Amino acid sequence: MNGLPGFLRLLEGPQTVGRGPAFWIVFAIVFAMACAYPLFSDGYTVGNTVYFFVWVFIALSLCLIWGYGGSLSFGQTAFFGIAGYSYGILTLNFGSAYGFTLVALVLAIAIAALFALLLGYFMFFGRIAGVFLGIVTLAVTLMLERFMAQTAGPEWRIGVARLNGFNGMSAMPPLTIPWPGGDIVLFADIGLYYAVLGLLLLVYLGLRILMNSAFGNVIVAIRENPERAEMLGYDVRKYQLITFVIGAALAGISGVLYTVWGQYITPSSMGMTAAALPLIWVAVGGRSDLTSTLIGTLVVLAAFQALTIYGSQYALVFMGVLLVLTVLIAPNGLVLGVMNLISRLATRRSKGDV
Amino acid sequence: MTKNVLRGLRAVALTGTLVLATGAAFAQTPIKLGVLEDQSGDFAVATIGKVHAIQLAAEEINKAGGIDGRPLELITYDTQSDNTRYQEFMRRVLQRDKVDVVFAGFSSASREAYRPIVDQFNGFAFYNNQYEGGVCDGHMIVTGAVPEQQFSTLIPYMMEKYGKNVYTLAADYNFGQISAEWVRNIVKENGGKMAGEEFIPLGVSQFSQSIQNIQKAKPDFVVTLLVGTAQASYYEQAASANVSLPMASSVNVGQGYEHKRFKPPSLKDMYVTTNYIEEIDTPASKAFYAKFKAKFPSEPYVNQEAENSYLAVYLYKQMVERAKSTKREDIRKVIAVGDVCMDAPEGKVCIDPKSQHMSHTIYLAKVGADHSISFPKVWEGIKPYWLGDAGCDLTKKDPMAQYTPSNPPPKP
Amino acid sequence: MDIATHIFSALYQFGDAFAFLVLSACGLAVIFGMMGVINLAHGEFIMCGAYVTASTAHVGLPLPLAIMAGAIVAALVGALVELVVIRHLYDRPLDTIVATWGLSLIATQGTLILVGSSMAGVGTPFGSFQVGEYSYSIYRLVLFASALGVLGGLYMLFNWTRFGVLARATIQVPHMAAALGVDTRLIYSLTFACGAGLAGLAGGLYAPTMTLVPTMGATFIMEAFVTVVIGGADVFLGTAPAGAVLAVVKSVMTSWQGQLFGQIGLLVAVIIVVRVLPKGISGFLLRERT
Repeated sequence: MNGLPGFLRLLEGPQTVGRGPAFWIVFAIVFAMACAYPLFSDGYTVGNTVYFFVWVFIALSLCLIWGYGGSLSFGQTAFFGIAGYSYGILTLNFGSAYGFTLVALVLAIAIAALFALLLGYFMFFGRIAGVFLGIVTLAVTLMLERFMAQTAGPEWRIGVARLNGFNGMSAMPPLTIPWPGGDIVLFADIGLYYAVLGLLLLVYLGLRILMNSAFGNVIVAIRENPERAEMLGYDVRKYQLITFVIGAALAGISGVLYTVWGQYITPSSMGMTAAALPLIWVAVGGRSDLTSTLIGTLVVLAAFQALTIYGSQYALVFMGVLLVLTVLIAPNGLVLGVMNLISRLATRRSKGDV
Repeated sequence: MTKNVLRGLRAVALTGTLVLATGAAFAQTPIKLGVLEDQSGDFAVATIGKVHAIQLAAEEINKAGGIDGRPLELITYDTQSDNTRYQEFMRRVLQRDKVDVVFAGFSSASREAYRPIVDQFNGFAFYNNQYEGGVCDGHMIVTGAVPEQQFSTLIPYMMEKYGKNVYTLAADYNFGQISAEWVRNIVKENGGKMAGEEFIPLGVSQFSQSIQNIQKAKPDFVVTLLVGTAQASYYEQAASANVSLPMASSVNVGQGYEHKRFKPPSLKDMYVTTNYIEEIDTPASKAFYAKFKAKFPSEPYVNQEAENSYLAVYLYKQMVERAKSTKREDIRKVIAVGDVCMDAPEGKVCIDPKSQHMSHTIYLAKVGADHSISFPKVWEGIKPYWLGDAGCDLTKKDPMAQYTPSNPPPKP
Repeated sequence: MDIATHIFSALYQFGDAFAFLVLSACGLAVIFGMMGVINLAHGEFIMCGAYVTASTAHVGLPLPLAIMAGAIVAALVGALVELVVIRHLYDRPLDTIVATWGLSLIATQGTLILVGSSMAGVGTPFGSFQVGEYSYSIYRLVLFASALGVLGGLYMLFNWTRFGVLARATIQVPHMAAALGVDTRLIYSLTFACGAGLAGLAGGLYAPTMTLVPTMGATFIMEAFVTVVIGGADVFLGTAPAGAVLAVVKSVMTSWQGQLFGQIGLLVAVIIVVRVLPKGISGFLLRERT
């Protein structure tokens, strides 16, 4: 890979699983399949896949903060909700003309990141760590949920957008790309699919580069031993804060895309169950790697949905059993376990050849 | 225990066998009815009966020759009391299963979660549930009761019987706040006054402070609009603190059968307006209850939502047979005529073409000291008048929105 | 209204909030505070205790015995869960989030399938008493007394008995304890069972006052976690003062601005306490003491 410009060399490195031509060939094949598959599928399946993709961003955010950074955030849903509501408030007030929905998307994510900056400053510069960090973030998301749930009255409005309490806010426009000769409206269908797939690719590769860069190495060093990192002269708090803000922005992407997908956002998106779910996805997949988080999230989402469809009232019991077994059998996460197994087999075989 | 497991397994297989058993008799393609209800999670207490009621109605209809000669096929998903499941499965029934009609939703939040999807894919949904009112959407038919039907009967009766000083204890979200607004307005119209109002966040189960606030305000009766299993703990706690005030409600008893679940006399002197509960002592109600119990012997209670769901299937049958079509536009033409009525277990019910809500027989149920139910009063043919009066007319315009008394439809 | 009535009413509301916080949190304080296992199935142990209490009371067992039965069954279930699942996870406590979340799904939905969507209540015993113009439930005083009793019992258990000393030794430095001949596996099992039993006790005590449904544990879980976390690692020095502080905040905010602010006030108090005392209240108290 020597011919590549510098930063592209960081696509692979010590912090991410998967390297060498074999990995990238598989990667390219998977991506090509993901691009081609809507041609052979129906609207429902495509829309449903978009829905799964939507949640991957919040899972990646947790992978970054928890898996790489070592700080357990139980409240990523707070940023999810803030961004979702911000998108709703902005677009309901300013409409979708001239591609404003895309501006709203960026603004909503920025608002979530700004909130994370304030909260993160409060926490990391107050030396809150470990399980205390988890509880503070959980308290924040639950507080937002409780507050939003009671905003049903007409006095709770921002411009023309009513917050509408527990029933949730709806009727916001879908993402629209301005185009000569008629805007392209991205309904939860093929249009939105390609947009989200593209965004996912960018975010995934971007995070790979970030984690293999000097910044990523410091983050991992802090996870392994914060005191040592500090002795080496790094301001641990600053690095943790930056990671936290990036993570919040990713959770915000999820929030906006979810709102766009169903044209609906509700306080229960910030509740206890919603807050716990990303932890489950990330832990099942394997939290210490981007690829395993990505695959694991998609696998868990699809498996849980299939169980709900075909498992009837036993679905939740099966899910529970599955989670317990995963933790007992695959300590590093299901996907990471499988990937490690594959790479071990591959090395053994290549050694045999020599 | 084994029996329960077997019942569960049978329920799993039911959707399939129902069609298999009767399908051979029909040459024509089935009419597909999607059912999205919470069979697990927090709301399951009140909603498992809805699914059973739909299964009962479908079985009866298929035995009697189907809808217009076509069998009725149920496609059921468990939404697990989770809004996101409603979004996933509403898309699934509309896009993948291509159902003709969907019966969906318990909580108002779940309805608002799936409604944009129904509107977007031009689906047709029944919401068979009592709620805070105000949905003016041509894609929706609401068979449950709304506040004006329950409170315009209940509150004047209570004020006449017990006095004009009213305290409202309500769940702190859309349903509770809007219902409390209705109570406030009706109390004022009838020359009474609010001794106090208190809103309780969902999921709260401890009420010592609220009990004290009520005692301090000294009302003549308390309107309890408490929602969810956690909030129902109020009754036991109020009784043990000897509050002993009469209570009025539009949600309890008829939905969550609290009088069966709590030890007497914690719900003594509770008055509820409901369009159906299993104790109603008319021949039609008794026949319905007997059929229900014959099919589902271990059903804990047949509540108003179960009856709403049951009659909704028959109502749909009638509309399809009159329209000779399952298309939404054709069915709405039938509704617009204004004579879609039927004799339900509760009595006669009709669909109001302006709002696509339903008129009901409203029963005033009184809970006795031993938790037995008596019916001091019955109102027949109570109409869902508010939406129509406020300016929602679906025969002319379809705004696909939800309105409230403080946020009415824009004047033309 | 005279001043004494006011004072009594404030004390009663404080005691009520304190009892709820402490009883919800005690089991978790042992399992999470001492062992570091993040037990998301804590609410389901409470539910288990409540269900056993209610069903044995329906059969005719006197209520105090029924509550004990609830606690004992929950402890046995806890021991079983420890043996099958938790035991394998002590070296990676964060994974217990997933495992216990799974357990809680199994328990809630399993109960729904096996027992049905709800269970008949047992009724609150003892009746009421009058102070000034207010009437109060006597059983609520019993709950407050039970909370104090549980705290006292835990203090004695972990400070005065051989098991308590061994348990604290094992949890602080496991390999050292093992080297000195302590059966650490057994100690872990017993401690976990003790926590589960305390959760069951809370469920049993609250069973007469609440709706009995499979999801009832959820109403306890937030209060339990915040109390334990701001309390910190020591059960007696942490949970008791944390319960007291939060009870004051909650009862004052609730009586002043209503239930919503009671809840939000609780969460704000947590954030502030954690910010000021990053190791929790017991961490602060222990540092002051040494």
